[in-house]
Amino acid sequence: MNALIKAEFRRLAATRLWLWALLAAVVLGGGMVGAVTLVGPENFDRPAPGLDTEDGVRSVLGMLSFTVFLPAALGTLAMTGEYRHRTVTYTFLHAPRRRQVLTAKLVAYGVAGLAYGLVLTGTAGAAFFGGAAARGVTPGMATGEVLELLLRPALAMAVYTLLGVAAGALIRHQVAALAVVVGYLYAGEFLLMTIPGVKLLYPLLPGGATAALTGFDYAADTMAAELATGPVPLLSPVGGGLLLTGYALAAAFVAVLVPMRRDVY
Amino acid sequence: MSGRPQGLPIEVGGLTKRFGHVRAVEDLSFTVRPGVVTGFLGPNGAGKTTTMRMVLGLVAPTAGTATIGGKRYADLPRPSATVGAVLDASAVHPGHSARDHLHIYRTMGGHPPERVDRLLTRLGLDRAADRRTRTFSTGMRQRLGLATALLGDPRVLLLDEPGNGLDPEGIAWLRGLLRGLAAEGRTVLVSSHVLSEVQQIVDDVVVIREGRLVAAGPLAEIERLSPGTVLVRSPDAAALRTALLRGTARGGAADRVDLMPDGTLCVYGLADSAVADLAAAEQLRVYGLSAGTSLEQLFLRLAGDGAPAGLDRPSALTDEGRNRR
Repeated sequence: MNALIKAEFRRLAATRLWLWALLAAVVLGGGMVGAVTLVGPENFDRPAPGLDTEDGVRSVLGMLSFTVFLPAALGTLAMTGEYRHRTVTYTFLHAPRRRQVLTAKLVAYGVAGLAYGLVLTGTAGAAFFGGAAARGVTPGMATGEVLELLLRPALAMAVYTLLGVAAGALIRHQVAALAVVVGYLYAGEFLLMTIPGVKLLYPLLPGGATAALTGFDYAADTMAAELATGPVPLLSPVGGGLLLTGYALAAAFVAVLVPMRRDVY
Repeated sequence: MSGRPQGLPIEVGGLTKRFGHVRAVEDLSFTVRPGVVTGFLGPNGAGKTTTMRMVLGLVAPTAGTATIGGKRYADLPRPSATVGAVLDASAVHPGHSARDHLHIYRTMGGHPPERVDRLLTRLGLDRAADRRTRTFSTGMRQRLGLATALLGDPRVLLLDEPGNGLDPEGIAWLRGLLRGLAAEGRTVLVSSHVLSEVQQIVDDVVVIREGRLVAAGPLAEIERLSPGTVLVRSPDAAALRTALLRGTARGGAADRVDLMPDGTLCVYGLADSAVADLAAAEQLRVYGLSAGTSLEQLFLRLAGDGAPAGLDRPSALTDEGRNRR
């Protein structure tokens, strides 16, 4: 099992994908948060609460959670690449117990996703505090709280990488898997919400669980505004994180039961 | 390679694979012995790849068993240390270098790191080791596939059409490599739809067609048991065929003459000299004439659309006649 995990890390290091991912983490984390901090939300076309307010800090850091599609896509690419390049033949020859192959990928990419998340939020945090100091603004939130708000999306990135790997194992076709993962994140769940009654399930859907984990809930806020109802109560951050992980493991379990058992040509 | 690895037999029994109503492999049984090269022959679509993938646990059989040294592939303790396989030479990540590719699977199989450099050198890939595989020629991919298969110094090797994409020099090199591996005591099963590619190196053959066994056994035995044929190329093929069947008082007549899909006549029951004499006496043109081996004849028939008529005679080939169509 250890050998399989090590091999997955080697596989990850063998292409430039990790380099692009690292670059993306720095640009989306440090770059995006740094730019918004320096400009200041209060100077936007539609002025938003400034960094000296709690809402201002929350909305600037909350932008990070929009980028969960990236680690999810990376996980999907990692898994479906095996089918696309047909290397899955060699992989299953070296590890005939296919369940172990998926487990090794989940472990390796869980770690990689966490590293991605830490780089993303680490650079974001540095840019936030640096930008605020440069402008002489005192953040409207205690430093400890800011750090917690940064750690939560970092964990979300790790869990979304797992979700991506599991979705890739389920769907196998690279383009289809990417379309499903990214499409669900950005459109699928909003569409689901339009079905009467489904809104009540929102806290239990991946989007709601993500919102609970990251502490930033664009969907719920929008819905509350549009439907003129009160905000939908979410799970606790830990509950949301566990539920998301549960989704990933359930998808992986189904993947091992059905698609990964199929004949390999 | 060090020492003399003990080969293990590959045993296939009643192996069957159906895709819906399509029977890819049907009640196939044969044994591949260690220490020799076995050719796994049959036209394209005969079921060779499906059979090999069932032996390797990549495709689940509908019925029957396939074992290596008595164990199913998935039950081997460290499969890549026992069995190596090249199934699809293009199965490499285009962004990986040859060295990366080998290290990934070397790590997965738990084999020592120095194997990678040894194999890169042995297979003539050392100078291309750090190039991304998207720049590789088909021949280089075949070599990389072989290197991957040999990572665990396996006692059993299965190669699916390893000659594809190799130039004549590459094929000669491959023959030497496979002969060497078999001489070390390993079990070597190599599939091909081109007989000439493997004819010179195989000791045994397993011939299948439409998923069923046609012949299996040592090549020498097959050659001995089955009478030879004469292959004739002639622009007057139709007239020559009539003449050969009519025969002459002196040389006798052919038992049977088949017109092959490529226009060649396949003559049974006459020596090559008798065929040449008859053509000369009838003043018919002959552009080429060769004494074919029984395996060639068998193969030509398989590649064509006719039933394997040469096998109608019970003396031919092995006792697997019940499997013939």
